[in-house]
Amino acid sequence: MALGLIVIYAIGPMRANVLNSTYGTNYDPNYFFFGQLRSVAISLVAFFLAFKVIPYKYIKKFSKPIVILAIGLSVALWVLAKTGSSLAKCELGECRWFNLGFMSFQPAELLKLALTIYLADFLARKKEAGEIGNIREFWLPLIIVAGLSLGLVVVAQGDLGTGVALMAIIFGTLLVAGVPTKQYLIMLAIVIVVAVLSVATSAHRMERIHAWIDTIQGAAVTDSTYHIENAILAIGTGGLAGVGIGNSVQATGYLPESINDSVFAIMGETFGFIGLFFIILVFSMLLFRMLKVADHTESDDRRILVVGVFSWTLAQFAVNIMAMTGLIPVTGITLPLLSYGGTSMVFLAYALGLVLQISCYTSREGIKHENTSSGGRLGRAYHSSRRRRP
Amino acid sequence: MLGQGFSRIKILKITTFAALAIITARLFIIQILEHDEWVAKANEQHTLLETITARRGEIYMMDGGEPAPIVLNQTTYQIVIDPAITDKESLKKTLETYAKDYITADLDEVYNIEGLRYYIVAKNLPYKIATLVAEAELDGVWFKKGNQRVYTEGEMGSTLLGFVNADGIGQYGVEGSLNKILSGKDGLLKTISDVNNVALSIGNDNIKIPAEDGKDVVLSVDRGLEKGIEEITAGHIANTPATHAAVLVMNPNNGEVIAMTSLPNYNPANYGNVKDASAYINQVTEVPYEPASICKNFTFSAAINEGKMTSETTYFNNGYEIIDGWKIMNAEQRSSIYGTITMKTALYWSLNTGSIHALMLLGDSNNEITKVGRERLYDYYRNKFRLGRATGIELIEAEGYIEDPNEGYGRNSTYANMTFGQNLGITMIQTATAFSSVINGGYWRTPTIIKGTLENGKIIPLDTEKIEDHILSEETSASMRDMLINNRNYKVRGGIDKPGYAVGGKSGTAQVIVNGAYDNTMSNLVGSYIGFVGSAGELPQYVIMTKMWGEGAALSGGEAQDLFDTLSNYVINYLKVRPVL
Repeated sequence: MALGLIVIYAIGPMRANVLNSTYGTNYDPNYFFFGQLRSVAISLVAFFLAFKVIPYKYIKKFSKPIVILAIGLSVALWVLAKTGSSLAKCELGECRWFNLGFMSFQPAELLKLALTIYLADFLARKKEAGEIGNIREFWLPLIIVAGLSLGLVVVAQGDLGTGVALMAIIFGTLLVAGVPTKQYLIMLAIVIVVAVLSVATSAHRMERIHAWIDTIQGAAVTDSTYHIENAILAIGTGGLAGVGIGNSVQATGYLPESINDSVFAIMGETFGFIGLFFIILVFSMLLFRMLKVADHTESDDRRILVVGVFSWTLAQFAVNIMAMTGLIPVTGITLPLLSYGGTSMVFLAYALGLVLQISCYTSREGIKHENTSSGGRLGRAYHSSRRRRP
Repeated sequence: MLGQGFSRIKILKITTFAALAIITARLFIIQILEHDEWVAKANEQHTLLETITARRGEIYMMDGGEPAPIVLNQTTYQIVIDPAITDKESLKKTLETYAKDYITADLDEVYNIEGLRYYIVAKNLPYKIATLVAEAELDGVWFKKGNQRVYTEGEMGSTLLGFVNADGIGQYGVEGSLNKILSGKDGLLKTISDVNNVALSIGNDNIKIPAEDGKDVVLSVDRGLEKGIEEITAGHIANTPATHAAVLVMNPNNGEVIAMTSLPNYNPANYGNVKDASAYINQVTEVPYEPASICKNFTFSAAINEGKMTSETTYFNNGYEIIDGWKIMNAEQRSSIYGTITMKTALYWSLNTGSIHALMLLGDSNNEITKVGRERLYDYYRNKFRLGRATGIELIEAEGYIEDPNEGYGRNSTYANMTFGQNLGITMIQTATAFSSVINGGYWRTPTIIKGTLENGKIIPLDTEKIEDHILSEETSASMRDMLINNRNYKVRGGIDKPGYAVGGKSGTAQVIVNGAYDNTMSNLVGSYIGFVGSAGELPQYVIMTKMWGEGAALSGGEAQDLFDTLSNYVINYLKVRPVL
C-alpha cells in the first residue's frame, strides 16, 4: 500500500494534468494522492477491524445476510442504472459504482468478500454434512448464488475482471472443499465453455482478444492495441532499475488508466525489473503464507476462507500483470492494494485482516492440538503478514 | 479428507509458483532482453522535435539619411487540430465563421484519415482572427506561431525587393539574393513531451538550440526618391507606346544605387496573383540586352585613353561604312554632317561611322579594323569596363556576353557593331557601372545596393569584397564629360537642363533581334538613355539610366531621353544638388 501511495503521489499530478488538459476538468495536482491516502486510511481501519475487532465467528454467523446484501446492492445498482438515476455512476457505458457524492462505491468488490465468507461457511457446512457433490443440496444452491453473482457482475456491470476474480474464488474454495475431482473438472469445463461463448458473442470482448493477438504479432498500433502496446512500452522502458520516481513519461497521458488498472506498467517504468521483482516477491510471500495458513488450519470454514482470499488475491495480481505484459487479453482488473481505487483496496484489506486473524487463531490452535514445529512456521506467517502493513 | 485437502493446496502452490514464474520470466524478457528496443520505441513516441523559427530580418531603405522600414514581419498563426479529439462540426462552423479565407485543408478529407492526431487546417491567421477562433474554446485545437511579410509601401520596389514564399524562403530581389542574411538560422527543440505534445522537463537528452535571428538589412536606396521615380516612370509608360520601363540611379563616386525600378510592379504580399513569372524579374540586373549607342562612350573612352584620338580628332563621314561586305548606316543622314567632322560632332549626332572610326584608330589604322583594334576594344569592354560579367552587386545578376576578338566569323563587322552597342549582351547595372567610370575620373567601382545590416540602431557594413580599379585617366574622363555635356547643348538652350548644373548624357536605340536577325523594319525598338547630373564644374553626383520598351513597340532613345530629362530634374530637386553659377 505504501508503494502504491508513492507511485500515486508521483503520477497523480500528471494524471490530473492530462485529465484537465484533455477534458477541461479542474483536478488539483494532489487530488489523486489524497484520494489514495483516504483509501489507504480506510483500508487500514478495515484491516484492523477484521484482524482485532470482529471475531470470525460473528462474521460467519452473518455470512448469508452479507451475501444477500451484496447481491441486493448489485441488483439495486442495476435497477438504478436502468432507470437512469444519478446514484448510479457509469464510465465508458458500464455502470459499476454507486455515486455517494463524497465518494463512489463499487458493490462488486463487496460481493467478492461476501462470496468468500459465504462459500467458506456454506462449503464447510456441506462438507460436515457429507453433502459435497450432492446435486440438490450442494450444486443447486451453489450454482444459484454463484450464477447470480457472476451474472450481475459480468452481464449487468460488464465487469469481466471481477468475474474472473469471482470465478477464482469459487474454484479455489471448491478445490479445497474436497469436491470430487470428476465433478470439479466437469464444472470447470462447463464454465470455460460458457466463458468462451460469452466472449465470442460480445463484440467488445472479441475486440480485446483481437487487439491482444495483434499486439503479440507486433502489428501496427491501432486504437485497440494501444493500451497493451503502451503498457509493455512503459514496462520495457523501465529496464533493470527503472527511470526513477516522477520520471515516468508514459504516465503523462500515453498509457490509459495509468493510476488504476495500468499502475503495474507505470511501476515497471518507474522502478524497473528490480522494483517489479520486489513487488512479485512481496506478493508471493503473502500468497504462500496464506497457503501455509490454510495448510495448518484445522477447521474447514477457516481454511476455505483463507483459500478464497488467496484465490482472490492471486487472480487479481496475476491477471492484471499478465494483461499488462501481453500474456493474456486486457480484462480491466485492478492490481490488488496498489491500484488507485478505494473500494477494491478496502475490501481486500478487510479480507487479509480476516486471514491474519485466522492465522493467529490457527497458530494458537496448532500449538494446542498439533506438533510444535508448525508453530514456528506459522509464527513467521504472522510475522510476514505484519510486515505487509504500511 | 484432510489428506485430500492438503494435496489440493499443493495444486494451488504449484499454480501460484507457475503463474509467478511465468510473470517474472515475461518481465525479464521485456525489461532486460528487449529493453533497448522499447526505449527506442518510447523515444519515437515521446520525443517532440520542433523547429524554433528564426525571425526573418526586416528590410529598410534610407530616408533623410535614416533607415526607414520597408519590409516588416507580422506574427501570424497556424491552427493545428487533433482529429481524434476535435469535434468536426463545431470546428467547421468556427473556422467558416471567423477564418474562412485562411482554411488550408479539406476537413472532410482530414477526418477520413485513420489514426491522424495532428493536422494544420488553417494558416497565416492574424492575431485578431486567431483570437476569435481561440475564444470558441474547441477541444484539441492549438495554435502555432508563424511569420508573414508586410510590405509597407505596397507594390513599390517589388522587383527590387522580391518576396518570401510559403516555405519562408526569399525569392527574387533582395529577399532572394540576401535570403541567407535575412532568414538567419532556425533553432531546434528536442524534448520529451506528454501525449498532448507539451514539452516535459523529464529526460536528460533534451536539446534546445536557440534560433539565430535574421539580420535587418538597410538598402542604399532612398525611399522617397524610389517612390517619386516610380511615379514619374509609370506616367511616361502611360504616355508612350512602352509597356515596360526600368530606371537606375546610382552614385558614380561610390557605386551606391539610390533608386532601382523595373515597371510594372506587382504586389509582393500577393505574389501568387502574378500571371507570368517574368513579372518578378529585375530588368536592371537580370536581363542582358543591347544598350546600342550608349556603348559609343566606351569605344571613345578606350581610343582616347590609349592616346589614339581626342574629341577634336577628325574623320571623313560618308554616312556609312562597309565592313566584311556589310553596309553599316548611320541613323542620322542629314547633309550638314557629311564630310570631315570631329569625333565630338560624331558623338553628338550618334554616328555609327564615328565609333567605327574610333575602333580603327584604336587598332593603329585610319581606314580599317585591325586585329589589334579588336583585341584592345575587347580588353576595354571585358576587362576594364567589366561588361558581360557580373558586377558583384548584392542582387541576382545575369552576366551577358562580349564576343571574342578573334574566334568566329565576321569579327570585323561584329566588332564594328559592338562599338555602337549591338552584337553584345550586357545588363543595365553593368552599363551604368561602366559609364560611372567614364565620368568619375576613371574609377570602376563595384556597385552596391546595401548600406549594411542594422544592429542596435547602427548600420554595420557588410563584409563583402569591393573592387576599385582605375581604368581610365582623369583626362580621358574629363574629355568624355565635356562631350557628354556637349551632347545636351540643345537641352540647355531648351531650358530643360538648368544653369548651374552639369548634365550630360547619351541615348541609345537598339534594334531587336527577331528570328535570329536584326529587325530592319524598325518596328520593334528598345530605347535607352544614360546620363549624369551634378553641380557645374564638379564631378557628377548621380548617374541616371533609363530603358523603355514594349512588345512590338518602337521606342527610340528619344522616349528614354524624355524620361531622363524629367528624372534628372527630379533628382536635382529631390537630392538638392547645389547649382554653381
